[in-house]
Amino acid sequence: MSLLKYESQLREPLVDGDKDYHQVTEDIVRPIEAKPSRLWYIGFWISVGLLLFGVYSIYREVTYGVGQWNLNKTIGWGWDITNFVWWVGIGHAGTLISAILLLFRQGWRTGVNRAAEAMTIFAVMCAGQFPIWHMGRVWMAFFVLPYPNTRGPLWVNFNSPLLWDVFAISTYFTVSLLFWYSGLIPDLATVRDRAKTKFRKLMYGVASFGWTGSTKHWQRHESLSLVLAGLSTPLVLSVHTIVSFDFATSIVPGWHTTIFPPYFVAGAIFSGFAMVQTLMIIVRKVFNMQDYITLGHIEAMNKVIVLTGSIVGCAYLTELFIAWYGQNPYELWAFFENRGNLFSPYGWSYYLMMFCNVVSPQLFWSRKLRRNITVTFFMSIIVNIGMWFERFVIIVTSTYRDFLPSSWSTYYSPTIWEIGFYLGTFGLFFTCFFLFAKYMPVIAIAEIKSILKTTGEGYKAKMTDVEKADAEKFYIEEVTHAH
Amino acid sequence: MEKKYWQSFGELNQTENFKQSAQNEFKEELLPLADLDDKGIIDAKTPRRDFLKYLGFSTAAATLAASCEMPVRKSVPYLQRPDDVIPGVSNYYASTYVNGGDAISVVVKQRDGRPIKIEGNELSSITKGGTSAQAQASVLDLYDNTRLRYPMQKDGKEFKEVTSFDAFDKMVGAAITGKTVVLLTSTITSPSTLQIISEFLAKYPGSRHVQYDAVSYSGMLLANEATYGKKAIPSYHFDNAKVIVSLGADFLGTWLSPTEFSKQYAANRKVKSDKPEISQHIHFESMLSLTGSNADDRFLHKPSETGAVAAAILAALNGTTASFKDAKLNAGIKLAAEKLKAAGGNALVVSGSNNVNVQIIVNAINEAIGAVGKTINWAVTSNYRKGIDADMNALVNDMNSGAVGAVLVYGVNPAYSYNDKKKFIDGLNKAVGISFNASMDETAENCKYILPANHWLESWGDAEPKSGYFSFIQPTINPLFKTRAFQTSLLKWSGSTSADYETYFRSYWTGKLGSADTYNKALQDGVAEPATAVAGAAAFNNAKVAEAVAKAGTAVAGKEVVLYEKISIGNGSQANNPWLQELPDPISKVTWDNYVMMGTEMYKEMFGKDVIADKGASDAYEVHPEKPVVKVTAGKMSVELPVLLLPGVQKDTIAIAVGYGRESADAAKTIDYIGRSAKGAGKNVYGFVGFDGTTNSYTTAVSVVKVENTTYPLAQTQVHGSSESRPVIYETNLKSFTANPAEVLHEITHEKLATTANGSTDFRKDATIYPDLLEEKKGIKWGMSIDLSTCTGCSACVVACTAENNVSVVGKTQVKLAHEMHWLRIDRYFTGGDPLNPDVVFQPMLCQHCDNAPCENVCPVAATNHSSEGLNQMTYNRCIGTRYCANNCPYKVRRFNWLDYTGADSFEDNQKPLLGSYLDESVMQMNDDLTRMVLNPDVTVRSRGVIEKCSFCVQRLQAAKLDAKKAQDPAVVRNVKVACSQACPSDCITFGNVNDPESEVSKARADKHRAFYVMEQLHVLPNVNYMVKVRNTDRELGAHHEEKKEGAKAHA
Repeated sequence: MSLLKYESQLREPLVDGDKDYHQVTEDIVRPIEAKPSRLWYIGFWISVGLLLFGVYSIYREVTYGVGQWNLNKTIGWGWDITNFVWWVGIGHAGTLISAILLLFRQGWRTGVNRAAEAMTIFAVMCAGQFPIWHMGRVWMAFFVLPYPNTRGPLWVNFNSPLLWDVFAISTYFTVSLLFWYSGLIPDLATVRDRAKTKFRKLMYGVASFGWTGSTKHWQRHESLSLVLAGLSTPLVLSVHTIVSFDFATSIVPGWHTTIFPPYFVAGAIFSGFAMVQTLMIIVRKVFNMQDYITLGHIEAMNKVIVLTGSIVGCAYLTELFIAWYGQNPYELWAFFENRGNLFSPYGWSYYLMMFCNVVSPQLFWSRKLRRNITVTFFMSIIVNIGMWFERFVIIVTSTYRDFLPSSWSTYYSPTIWEIGFYLGTFGLFFTCFFLFAKYMPVIAIAEIKSILKTTGEGYKAKMTDVEKADAEKFYIEEVTHAH
Repeated sequence: MEKKYWQSFGELNQTENFKQSAQNEFKEELLPLADLDDKGIIDAKTPRRDFLKYLGFSTAAATLAASCEMPVRKSVPYLQRPDDVIPGVSNYYASTYVNGGDAISVVVKQRDGRPIKIEGNELSSITKGGTSAQAQASVLDLYDNTRLRYPMQKDGKEFKEVTSFDAFDKMVGAAITGKTVVLLTSTITSPSTLQIISEFLAKYPGSRHVQYDAVSYSGMLLANEATYGKKAIPSYHFDNAKVIVSLGADFLGTWLSPTEFSKQYAANRKVKSDKPEISQHIHFESMLSLTGSNADDRFLHKPSETGAVAAAILAALNGTTASFKDAKLNAGIKLAAEKLKAAGGNALVVSGSNNVNVQIIVNAINEAIGAVGKTINWAVTSNYRKGIDADMNALVNDMNSGAVGAVLVYGVNPAYSYNDKKKFIDGLNKAVGISFNASMDETAENCKYILPANHWLESWGDAEPKSGYFSFIQPTINPLFKTRAFQTSLLKWSGSTSADYETYFRSYWTGKLGSADTYNKALQDGVAEPATAVAGAAAFNNAKVAEAVAKAGTAVAGKEVVLYEKISIGNGSQANNPWLQELPDPISKVTWDNYVMMGTEMYKEMFGKDVIADKGASDAYEVHPEKPVVKVTAGKMSVELPVLLLPGVQKDTIAIAVGYGRESADAAKTIDYIGRSAKGAGKNVYGFVGFDGTTNSYTTAVSVVKVENTTYPLAQTQVHGSSESRPVIYETNLKSFTANPAEVLHEITHEKLATTANGSTDFRKDATIYPDLLEEKKGIKWGMSIDLSTCTGCSACVVACTAENNVSVVGKTQVKLAHEMHWLRIDRYFTGGDPLNPDVVFQPMLCQHCDNAPCENVCPVAATNHSSEGLNQMTYNRCIGTRYCANNCPYKVRRFNWLDYTGADSFEDNQKPLLGSYLDESVMQMNDDLTRMVLNPDVTVRSRGVIEKCSFCVQRLQAAKLDAKKAQDPAVVRNVKVACSQACPSDCITFGNVNDPESEVSKARADKHRAFYVMEQLHVLPNVNYMVKVRNTDRELGAHHEEKKEGAKAHA
């Protein structure tokens, strides 16, 4: 890994607390080896409860029909696809952090990449539920797989964006899972080596695939990481691009927009980072990992949030401009009546989205607020609410009043079973996350060790002097000297 | 020594290894689990890959096995096949739909012994193949499970079965002998029945026959008696009328004989670019009726002003200017009078009023303009309605005074529809009541004896809708239950020599028509009509006119209610018909309920919300099905109903439909007695019907009070009324159209020129960079043309489509959620500059079968695709229900099976979920075995979770192609009739092969100045075109005109 790193003289350390290698292992493995806290149990069982409610909601939908939801002849997709896109979006940060930041040699990623990747996988698992269970005949879902069949030349329709989704999501999930797991192997081996019971040894032994930590293993591991990073990088961009095609290639005014692919990707990263923030802030608190997930991490991610939030904001304004500039009456109506008119039935959702996604992240221009944990936590939730509403706005406010005024819809609000399905995916997500946090190292031990000395030592050595010296002199001496 | 063949050295040498392996059939381990016993999973012999293989295989096998289970249904073939039944081939029999006084000549489609569809009989010169929504739906009444199944007798409070007809005859014979018997029936148009009745009455001296119409026309009958000396209604000829003035007569919807009048009316409304000439229709009314919404010019007045308006028109013919407060109304009267005078007798004035004086004035107007003999034919009279209100009132009084011994009730339900129903029921209880009604309705349950009569589809019979014009009924199925023809009963009880009605009927008509051959021919044709139509006038006696004008009445102050019939439920006799209950009213788009129809001004006054000025208020009103409730009171009668806001209702007027609120004496029994669909649908407002001393009045002064904090959900299928100036409908007036036929489509033509590649107007070819794959295709290409000028919105096509294609009924709860399944709907748009009195455009909307269909390319599994004949096809068993196609359909014609509406699902018992019931009883009604007999076996019943939509009746197209092949004549497929085009009484839907220049649809499309496609700019290339609506008015029309004017203003 050292090839990918350079030692920064100026940056604050990526790991606080002056740790040595052993301490790192101790800190990170502690939750795995200790009994879970009371808080963990409460959280876990609440999650399982939500999951069961979700399962029951889906059971009703499958047994009785999609009519258990309040969708109608005009609004064919509602909460189901909104939630799908939202979860897929959340599932973007992990791979972005692992792959793209790896390629860009962002050392700070090591503190959060493991949990972010896990989050990605769980989020994609949640996302995948929606397109599956929203089908009217889910027991025929295998029709979307292009497998040789006895139905003559009957094949899937390669023109359909929904089919592209099938490929995009499954590829993304597979690659993300491999990436995450291959990173886990050395750490699982660490846990195995420390295991005290036979069962633990067996389980972690199986899971770590016989990792010995030999140089050859490390060499292969790093090559694999690079290859998977290379594979994942385009996927980060392609998945949400293809999800956006579900809308962009249709003819529905408000969906039929060429700006969607970049706008969706930016939005996905935006919401993904917000979700990482939410989880990381909880994890560092609950598992006492403030030293590894530092304010520096939080600040870095807040920077990404303000950047992507602003990109998304630009996209919103561009959409409005193009709708006006294009003078397509249907599009004008979708943007300026269905959404832009605050007093139209769904106007409120558009302005809520605007506030959450565009206005509120601007707070993060202030360094003080970027480094404030409470503000960050609330902001991360606001951003995710906003991004949920973005998808809701796109899906529902486009279809509820589209081309033919005779078919304009009445007001759509979800049934308890639609909400239940959504809550169920939260249950799934957090159940998985709690299990992950209990049984796997939430921070990449091996990777964090690789950066332990790259910033911390140099920083400590230099900053004691720097802190004493005055800034102007420092810059003249050090910065010019360094160049 | 035996020659040895060997495959390997092992075999040759018979080594130990070989022997062992030859013994072992399965060289590899079969099941991985056998090894797991004691060694643990890590050391197990079976490799991981095998384990995964087995896992995969068993999962896949289990999945397949679990999903492939199909229910086994057994069918038994005929041992001896009846001659005329070929399984899978339909038979068609001419018959006549009769319900009360209504009669429409029809052809019944019978399949495997079951009547399943009603079509119009084109041999009838009256209806000429047209049908109505009610006639289309009546086949479902046959299979109504509330029909009584045997004769019954009241025993205490309960009814018990009478085991045989003979026993019943004896019992009734004993009960009515020596008593004054009154036959209380609906208007009877059947000549043989009338004769049987007269024979019966002769047998019981002092007895009489009273004909009673739930919605009465006695005002007309009495006015005609006063002025022409005939208590009859003449024949009207709207086809001869160049100017039609209607004073609230809903002649295209519910007045007298709407199917007949629609045919006549449409003949004069079809515009041709080369010869633009259509009739002019001026309408005066208080509420917004179907006919009013088709009018060229429509004027509003208070209900109490009807007589005054009629008198003003009469006066205006002599040049007197009307002096109402409303200047628009005065202008309308002037316009009407001018046009009537100018028409030279080719004009017609009709009135829907039941007031004798109003009708006398109307007669005087028709005389004054010379209409009689031209558009009014007294040589042939109409028999649709004969009831006289005073007769009925006298009967009820007699019943209460005990002067009537027995009442035989046939085809009417006064215990529901009489305005003082309590008085009627009290009277009925004082006499021996005998009901022939088909179900345990409000009247039957108050009778002592019940002998259910056959449904018309099970009967012999005849009808004489107009004097000299006969239409015959022949049974198309054996009686389903132990029921007997009403006529047979009368014959039995009058001691006739004829064994039953069939014998009587045959000898009656063989005698009348001359021979058995002519009788058979008449039955086969279904009609017997005079060879030449006779026309004639009648002598007019104007003695009463001056008195009538004097009594015409003036406006009363305050609010008034208008009671009207809907095209679906009518007078309420078919209230348990789920097809009709779920048929959206073309004006209000409401299903399953009646309501208070209220104008925007009264709404503002009562609820403080100005929906015209305040867009937020109108949005809020339309997007929420929960509507405010008002209490309407007149005298003792009061009712609470939701408010349906409609533009074009006079500001002091509300309107409520009759025919709703059917309820048994014990409300809990309604569901069993009257039916699951009728229960809970609306409220009964017959109690508002007043009696002015001579006739019933269907308007009355009321008080309307807001009921605080109460709402009631209305299930509407369309909530937005404006077309928002989108290129969905086009309309123009005759004057502009004559001057410049190209002008109305100018905008779209201009757009085509501007946006196509080489300045052509061919969007299809030149607005795309892709090759047109269908362009070179010869052979058949199906297409449809719909004329907005002649579509009256009558909705017969909607019910026809429902019947033909097994379209599910989903019930009010589901319609409210916009889950209705109709493949074809009538969109209604309000247009024009006056929001208080807008124009209305009806647009039948169905799958447009786009050649560049946006639904087709988005389906991940290719469940919807395009046929080489231009059909957008739906493969139900491939559909997985992603609903993407429905989202992407700009016409929103795709329908999703949200729940198990048909009971066809492989998941059992899933129509009644725990924790909340989502399917109404009406859905269950459609799913029981008896009702399912109405299903068309040619069309798949769709299961839950799939999308469905209009197929252009592909089953009919396939049949037609087969016929064409057999006949070796491609012309057979030229003008195939699909269900909607067959049913249409105004011939606005044309269907056929557009590649055939001789087909009707090609000819229709050739009119380039009127043919347009809805939202053609989207380049989805629809196969359904519409024809511009042309109105014969001087007003500038349509949203596009409004825009143009605004544009001009902005430029200036």
